[in-house]
Amino acid sequence: MALILNGDEEQFQQSVRRLVAERSPLPKLRELMSSGQPFDPEVWKQLSALGLTGLIIPAEHGGAEAGYSVLSVAFAELGAGLVASPLLADTLAAGAVARLGDDAALSRLLPGIASGELIATLAVGAQLGEPQLGEHSGTARADGDALTGEIAPVLNAAQADVLLIPAAAGDATALFEVAAGTPGLEVTPLPSLDHSRSLARVRLDGAPGRRLDGDAAAALGFAADLANLAVASEQLGGMGACLEMTTEYAKIRAAFGRPIGAFQGVKHRLANLRTSWELAHAALRDAARAADSRPADFPRAACVARIAVSASYVDAAVATVQLHGGIGFTWEHDAHLYQKNAISQHALFGGPGEQLDRLTSLLADAGA
Amino acid sequence: MSERSVDDFRSRARAWLEQNAPRRGDGDNEPGGPGRADIAAQQAFQARLYDAGFAGITWPSEYGGQGLTNAEQIAFGEAARDFALPVGAFVIGLGMPGPTILELGTEEQKKRYLPKLLRGEEIWCQLFSEPSAGSDVASLTTTAARVKGDGEADGEWVLNGQKVWTSGAQYSDYGAVIARTDPTVPKHNGITMFIVDMHAPGVTVRPLKVATGATPFNEVFFDQVRLPADSVIGEVNDGWRAAVVMLRNERVAIGTMAAPRTSPLSYDSLSGLAARLGSGADPGLRRKLAELYVRERSVRLFGRLLREEAMAGRDPGPRGSVAKLAGAELGTFASLVAADVLGPAAAASDREDVREVLNAMLSAPGSSIAGGTNEIQRNIIGERVLGLPKDPGVDRSTPFNQLRVGTLRRVEGGKVGSDRRTGDGADT
Repeated sequence: MALILNGDEEQFQQSVRRLVAERSPLPKLRELMSSGQPFDPEVWKQLSALGLTGLIIPAEHGGAEAGYSVLSVAFAELGAGLVASPLLADTLAAGAVARLGDDAALSRLLPGIASGELIATLAVGAQLGEPQLGEHSGTARADGDALTGEIAPVLNAAQADVLLIPAAAGDATALFEVAAGTPGLEVTPLPSLDHSRSLARVRLDGAPGRRLDGDAAAALGFAADLANLAVASEQLGGMGACLEMTTEYAKIRAAFGRPIGAFQGVKHRLANLRTSWELAHAALRDAARAADSRPADFPRAACVARIAVSASYVDAAVATVQLHGGIGFTWEHDAHLYQKNAISQHALFGGPGEQLDRLTSLLADAGA
Repeated sequence: MSERSVDDFRSRARAWLEQNAPRRGDGDNEPGGPGRADIAAQQAFQARLYDAGFAGITWPSEYGGQGLTNAEQIAFGEAARDFALPVGAFVIGLGMPGPTILELGTEEQKKRYLPKLLRGEEIWCQLFSEPSAGSDVASLTTTAARVKGDGEADGEWVLNGQKVWTSGAQYSDYGAVIARTDPTVPKHNGITMFIVDMHAPGVTVRPLKVATGATPFNEVFFDQVRLPADSVIGEVNDGWRAAVVMLRNERVAIGTMAAPRTSPLSYDSLSGLAARLGSGADPGLRRKLAELYVRERSVRLFGRLLREEAMAGRDPGPRGSVAKLAGAELGTFASLVAADVLGPAAAASDREDVREVLNAMLSAPGSSIAGGTNEIQRNIIGERVLGLPKDPGVDRSTPFNQLRVGTLRRVEGGKVGSDRRTGDGADT
C-alpha cells in the first residue's frame, strides 16, 4: 500500500486542520493555562462531531472504522496545534478494549467513546506494554476484585468517567474497569509540564473493579504500539509547526543587513531539521499503513516511527526557542509551549532508552 | 498510462531479469567500479537490455528510447533492485550526459549519440570538478578558446586544463566537459558545455588514488585538444544551465539509490558482525544498533516516498537533496556504530569481515562529498525546499578574472597537492 496519502485522507486532513485553526488556535491553550481547565468541552464536542473519537471503533459499536492511517493524520494536525483533549486517552482505552475482545465490555464502553460522551483512560503510567511489578511508575494488584496500588502519571485520569486498571491478579495481568468516584479510588491531578497533556496520580485502596475477559498482556502490548503511532503523529505535527514557524521568522528577521535565514549557521540548522522531519514522516506513514494492513509489522514500524521523530522534535523545539533569539524566550511567544510539549512527549509512553530496547527485542524476535 | 500497463511492464521486466541478470548477493560490493576487462561484457549486457526494451525507458523512440513514463522507469528500478545488473559503465552516461543532450542538444547530436549510448556501443563520462573548483564548480579554470588564423575550420575550439574525480574516463569514448569560454564576465555567464572525444590527441587520463588506497576515479588532462564547432551542448556561454540540469540528474540518481542490504555498514551486516565478535550483548551497543536500524529504515522509506510521489506525477525537485544528505549522514552514523562493534579490532585485525567494515568506514566520508557536499545539499534544502534567502555573495556579479578561486594558500604538510586536489568530486 502506498505511503503517500490518498484523496480521502488528504480531505480529512484539511477538515481537521480547519477545525484546529478555527476552534482551537494556540491562544486557546493559553486560556486553558490561565483557567486551569484541562480542555475546552466545546472543542471536544467539535472533535467528536468530526468523528475523531470513533475512527478506530467498529461500526457495530458506533464508530466509523476509518482506520489507523486516518487516525495518524488527525493526531498530526492536533499535535501541530497543541490541541488539549482526551482523545489520546480515549484512543488507547478503545484500542485496548477492542483487542481484549470482552463482548460485554465492547458494548458497554465503545459506543460512549465513539460518540465522545464517555471519557476512558488506560492507567499505564509512563511505560510501554505490560507493567512490571516494582517499577517506579507503579502498578496495582488485585485481591479478588479489590484493587490496591499506585499508578502515575495517568492520562486524563481526573476527567475520566472510566479507568482501565492493569493489575497483577495471581500470576497474570488482568484489566479491571473502575468507574470514577468508586470508593477506594483517589485521583490527584499532577502539575503537567505541558498543559495540553492532563496527567494525574491514581491511588487504589481496595477499590472494587470489574475484571474484563481476554488477554490483558496482548491488549496492553497493542496499546503500547498504538501509543507509539499516536504520539509519533502528534510529535511529527508539533515538529512541523516548529519548523514552519522558525523558517518563516528566518525569512523576515534581519541582522547584519540581511535576513538571518541567509546565514548558513541558521540555514543549515533548519535544513538538518527538515531532513529529520522528512525521514520521520516517511517512517510514520509506514507505521500507519502497517497498522491498517500489515499487523504483524505494526509493533516494529510504530517503534521505528516513534524513535525517528521523538528526539528530533525536542531538537526542533529547542531550535525554535533559540533561533528566534530573545523574542523566542519570552512568555508571550509560542515557542516555549512547543518546547514543553516536546519534552513531555519524549518522556511519555516509553522514553528513548525504553524504545530502543523494545526495538532491539522486536528485531531479535523477528530473527533479524 | 494505466496502473495495469505499469504492472504488466513490471512483471515483464521481472521475468526478463530472472532469465538474464545475476541476483544481488554477497560479494558484489566492489568499491572500485568495473575493470577494463569486463567492459566488453557490460556492453554486451546493455545491448541485450536494449533489445529487450528496457533501455532508455522514458526516452523518445526516435532516439532509441521506449517512449514510456516515469512510472515504468520506477517499476523497472524496483524490479531490478534484487539484481546486480552489470551496467556500471553506463550509469553515468545514461544518468547525466544522456538526459542533458536529450534536453539541450541539437537534433544532430541526439541522433548521433543517444542510440549508441543506449545500445552500449559508446561509453560516456562527465568532466566537471577541477582541482580548484569543487563545490563551487562554476569557478572552473579549464578553458576553451576559438581557434583563429588561416586554414582552420570555422568555429573550432581548443581545450586546455585539468579535470578530476572523473569516473570511467579510462574506458570512456566521449565526455561532457564544461570549460570557461569568457573570463571577463561573472563566473556563471562565461561557461560552455562541450562533447569531447576521449580518444582525441591531447587527452591524458591518469588514475587517482583515494584515501582507501583504491583508484576508482581519474584525473584528466587536456592539452591543446581540438573540439569541432558542433560539439557545443546548448548555447555558447550558457553552459552553466546545462551543468545545473546535469547535476540535478546526478543528485536524484545518488539520493534515491537504495543501499544494498549487504553493505558492510548496514544494520544486518553490523549486527551479524557484533554477534560474531562477541560485542552484541553490550546493552549500549544494542541501543546504537537499534538506532542505526531506525535511520537506515527511515532513509529507505523516504526514498520510497519520493518514488511514489514521482509516480503520482509530483516532481520531487530539490527534495532529492534531502535523500542525498540523509544517505550521507547515515553512512557517517553507521561508521560510528561500526567502530563500537569492532572495538580494538579496528586498530589491527586479520579477519576479512573486519577489513571490509574498515574499508567501508574509510569510504564513508566520500558520500558526504561526491555529488555535492553535505554543506551544498543543506544550502539547496534551505534555499529551494524551505525558501530561505540566498547568501548575497560577491561571486555572482564580479567578472571571473577578478575573483579569488581555489585554495588561497598552500597548507604546510599537505604534500599531496593541497592546491591541486580540492575538488568536491561532483563528477562521482
